[in-house]
Amino acid sequence: MKRIKNWIIILENAGGVLIFKNYRILCIGFAAVCLMPVLALLQEVHAEDAERIVREAVNYYRGDASTAVAEMTIHRPDWERTMIIKAWTEGLKKSLFYIVAPPKDEGNGTLKRGTEMWTYNPKIHRVIKLPPSMMSQSWMGSDFSNNDLAKSDSILDDYVHTVEEVLFEEGMKIYVIRSEPKPAAPVVWGMQKLHIREDRILLREEFYDEDLKPVKYMDGSDIQMLGGKLFPRIWKMQKVENTGEYTLLNYRELAFHDDLPDRLFTLSALRNR
Amino acid sequence: MNFIMAWRNIWRHPRRSILTIAAIVFATMLLVFMLSWQFGAYDTMIDATVKIHTGHIQIQAQGYQDQRDMRKVVPDPNEIERILTSLRGVKSYTFRAEDFSLVSSENRTYGVLVIGIDPQKEPSVSTLEDMIRRGRFLEAGDRRSALAGEILADNLNSPVGGDLVLLGQGRDGSIAATVLTIKGIFNTGQDEFDRTMIHIPLEYFQELYNMRGAVHMAVVLCDSLTAVPAVKERIAGALSGIDSSLAVLDWKELNPGLVQAIQMDLVSGFIFYLILIIVVAFSIMNTFLMAVFERTREFGVMMSMGMGPGRLMGLLLMESLGITLIGVVIGTIAGAAVTWYFQIHGMVIPGAEEVARQFGLPERMFPQLSFLSIAVGAGIVLILTVLSALYPAFKVKGLKPVEALSAV
Amino acid sequence: MILKLAWRNIWRNRRRTAVILTAIVIGLWAMVFLSALMRGIADRMVKNAISTMTGHIKIYHAGYRNDPVIENRIENPGEIKNILQSLPAVRQFTSRIRVNAVAANARHSGGVTLVGIHPGREAGISFTGDAVTEGEYLKDEESQGILVGRALLEKYETRIGHKLVLMSRDASGEIASRAFRIRGIYDAELESTERQFVFVNLAAAQEMLGVNGDVTEFSLLIDDYEEAAAVAASVGRRFDGDDLAVYSWKELLPLVVAVLKMYDGFILFWFAAVFIAIAFGLVNTILMAVFERIREFGLMRALGMKPSFVVAEVSAESFFLLFIGTVAGNLLGAASVAALSQRGIDLSAFAKGIEFAGMSRIIFPVLELGDILTADAAVLVLGMAVGLYPAIRAARFSPVEAMVHM
Repeated sequence: MKRIKNWIIILENAGGVLIFKNYRILCIGFAAVCLMPVLALLQEVHAEDAERIVREAVNYYRGDASTAVAEMTIHRPDWERTMIIKAWTEGLKKSLFYIVAPPKDEGNGTLKRGTEMWTYNPKIHRVIKLPPSMMSQSWMGSDFSNNDLAKSDSILDDYVHTVEEVLFEEGMKIYVIRSEPKPAAPVVWGMQKLHIREDRILLREEFYDEDLKPVKYMDGSDIQMLGGKLFPRIWKMQKVENTGEYTLLNYRELAFHDDLPDRLFTLSALRNR
Repeated sequence: MNFIMAWRNIWRHPRRSILTIAAIVFATMLLVFMLSWQFGAYDTMIDATVKIHTGHIQIQAQGYQDQRDMRKVVPDPNEIERILTSLRGVKSYTFRAEDFSLVSSENRTYGVLVIGIDPQKEPSVSTLEDMIRRGRFLEAGDRRSALAGEILADNLNSPVGGDLVLLGQGRDGSIAATVLTIKGIFNTGQDEFDRTMIHIPLEYFQELYNMRGAVHMAVVLCDSLTAVPAVKERIAGALSGIDSSLAVLDWKELNPGLVQAIQMDLVSGFIFYLILIIVVAFSIMNTFLMAVFERTREFGVMMSMGMGPGRLMGLLLMESLGITLIGVVIGTIAGAAVTWYFQIHGMVIPGAEEVARQFGLPERMFPQLSFLSIAVGAGIVLILTVLSALYPAFKVKGLKPVEALSAV
Repeated sequence: MILKLAWRNIWRNRRRTAVILTAIVIGLWAMVFLSALMRGIADRMVKNAISTMTGHIKIYHAGYRNDPVIENRIENPGEIKNILQSLPAVRQFTSRIRVNAVAANARHSGGVTLVGIHPGREAGISFTGDAVTEGEYLKDEESQGILVGRALLEKYETRIGHKLVLMSRDASGEIASRAFRIRGIYDAELESTERQFVFVNLAAAQEMLGVNGDVTEFSLLIDDYEEAAAVAASVGRRFDGDDLAVYSWKELLPLVVAVLKMYDGFILFWFAAVFIAIAFGLVNTILMAVFERIREFGLMRALGMKPSFVVAEVSAESFFLLFIGTVAGNLLGAASVAALSQRGIDLSAFAKGIEFAGMSRIIFPVLELGDILTADAAVLVLGMAVGLYPAIRAARFSPVEAMVHM
């Protein structure tokens, strides 16, 4: 009996101290508990946000449909080549590229529908569908691969996005979004990082391998009013390990539309442009 | 004193001695020939393989062998030509350029390897011309012409004279596109070659792919396989002063599987030679033994005349040594002569000609006489014979004069 | 009479007989053993070639061999499976999908051959079963795993657990792509093999290519690979009318067949070499024996024996010696082969510097009746021919010569 009493006394005393200590912890804990759902909410908001931000950015630079004239410069340590390209795009699934200059390459075109690509060459008057073996080859010798162009919507379908941090530059927020490929997604990258400004302009896309070492990146710069909205005029695609090699895209003209006629994205259009 | 006696003994029974010498001569000839043949077989194998495509030596841009990239070029073939024509040991050479491009017919498109070859120089370096089954090889002055592998041509349904549409990317990334006419169809017997390659004239390749005069490799054949390392060094030396971004590779680096195959063969061949040597050893030992048996009475006489068994043995050994030396020397000369004859004329392996022709393998084998084959062949016989002579000599030591005298 | 005399003469001088016999026995043993070794090597070569997925017999769609694309696939594999199971000659079989594809990761891309397999069945038929040296072999339920060769792993600068994205044309002509994870690394005899073949589960390949249970090939093993052509023909008859082609390994590997034919020639060549090696020893010893017996022959002549009898007698002796030697040599040869039939000869013991992986380097000598009979016949006939000269010499000894000889 006495023993039990003793235990109760000890407990009471201990409990008192504990309770006192706990009271503080409890208070903080209570606050935390109250805040937790809020924090969780904030987290979720970020995840949702991240995906939404990415989607909006993609829609921003693609528009529903667009036409453009761009100057592509391929730069290598010992030479440089410039082409002028006309481009029509509709959403992310359809696009048509057509080389206007230099005369040597004039008339060459590439049509993309979904994940399929065709190429046309005026010298041989032939439309050839690109087999898988050509998909990883570069497009017209640039640092963009045929795949890069064909799978331009994969950033939305194949990745899970989270906001890693938020930077501030020139008074605007820049979301640094970390995109990790879904486990079964057929993408070669281990990770991508996107820098998207709060007005949904994509500033930078970084590509990482599976060891999370950077392989190449694309920068948008010289933001101006193009086609009715702010848009980076100059894009640069560059390999991390080879700074003497890069491809520059300079938008001379850009216009956004609601829609473009379907017959524009057909094989005959490719042939007869 | 003993030498003279040994020498006289040898010639006292010419028949016997000649027979023994003959045995040694044949043994030496056999071994010298077999070893020369074996080394020659490898040389033949290597030669045949390198002549199919890779050549003895190639000059390429650094890193091209591991990672084929259109842009890794040999920029100035004229300079290379100047170097090659001035070097000793270079038998013939040619230049090639390659790229992976699309080739298509009505409804099928294939990724193939397009190889630009020099129609005049290529036959001196590879056996491609011999593999043409239909149509003809490329000629100087050909432009939009191609040689296609048989399987590829069949898959595309294009006969000789038919069209092939080619689409690829040039050295500077520009489009390379043209329509080619098939001038010849080849069959190398190896599916991979016949399904995935076409050859076009080098000059046209350079024009089409915007090579600006560059090529991807210089392919060199040397005077002989043994000359290769020296020639490789000379080329490397000549290049280091001019253009150090080029690599010089020999056939071993170009054909790693071949070296492995030869090593494997060498190892199994080792067992065969071991067996042959055992047989040869027994033959020789038998000959010596027989000779000793025949002379039993003679030994008995000598011993009863006061020659001690030790001295007798010494005498016998000296005789054997004399015979051996004579035999090995004659055998080496004779063996070298016979091998030399076949080295010039070649030997046909029965049953192999048709097969060999089909695969571009040589129909005749040529033994390769070399210091090594002579030295090893003669050396082995020498050692074996000396050892074989020991056993009978020891037996002689235990002879009892009385027994010996009564032998027949 | 001659025979009895000859027989007794042989055993009268054991020493002489022993020496001559030894040469013959060793020579014949060498021939038998060498030919068995060569056949063993040829056998090993065939087995190695077959185990790189050729198998003994293959069944393809008629157009597949020249154009290995997904359009040329076998669309009724279930039927074929049933038929194959019912055939007693077929010991084992498996089915595969094999198409050209492009494999890519973040740093490299290149052409490969994609092979969809049944992991369990495949292990018993081709080299893949033993070839995985790191990581794990594919499991039957695996859908994301891929096996790559070591050389490919190094070329792509990747490792186990990392991704490889495969792209190919699917059944409807569109580009299909799918990500796989490297589960295991295999080593093969040639680096080019390692760079070319990647293995995934058959179901995964079927799903990727949109082919619903179809395959592109069946590979069969029968009991004796020599019989492949006959079995292939009979299997082919069962599928008459279908769009299928049945090939035996001989049709698929003409280079191997060619090399085998060359081996026949090589064996004759080595027989000749060995025979020459014993022939000179044989001639010499028989000749010496004959001269040793000068008094004996002189006596025979003095007793009235005609020269032709002497020739016949000596030849008979040669014959007996050859015969006994041949039989003994055959037995010795057979015994040595039998002794090695358990463990074989392990070539890698001789060549420690060379790495052999995936394919065994052990050679089991194989006795072939044709070779043995050839060797026996050659030795007997040529041996008799060679023994003719000593026989004639022996007949020429006049009695006077003989008595004078010491």
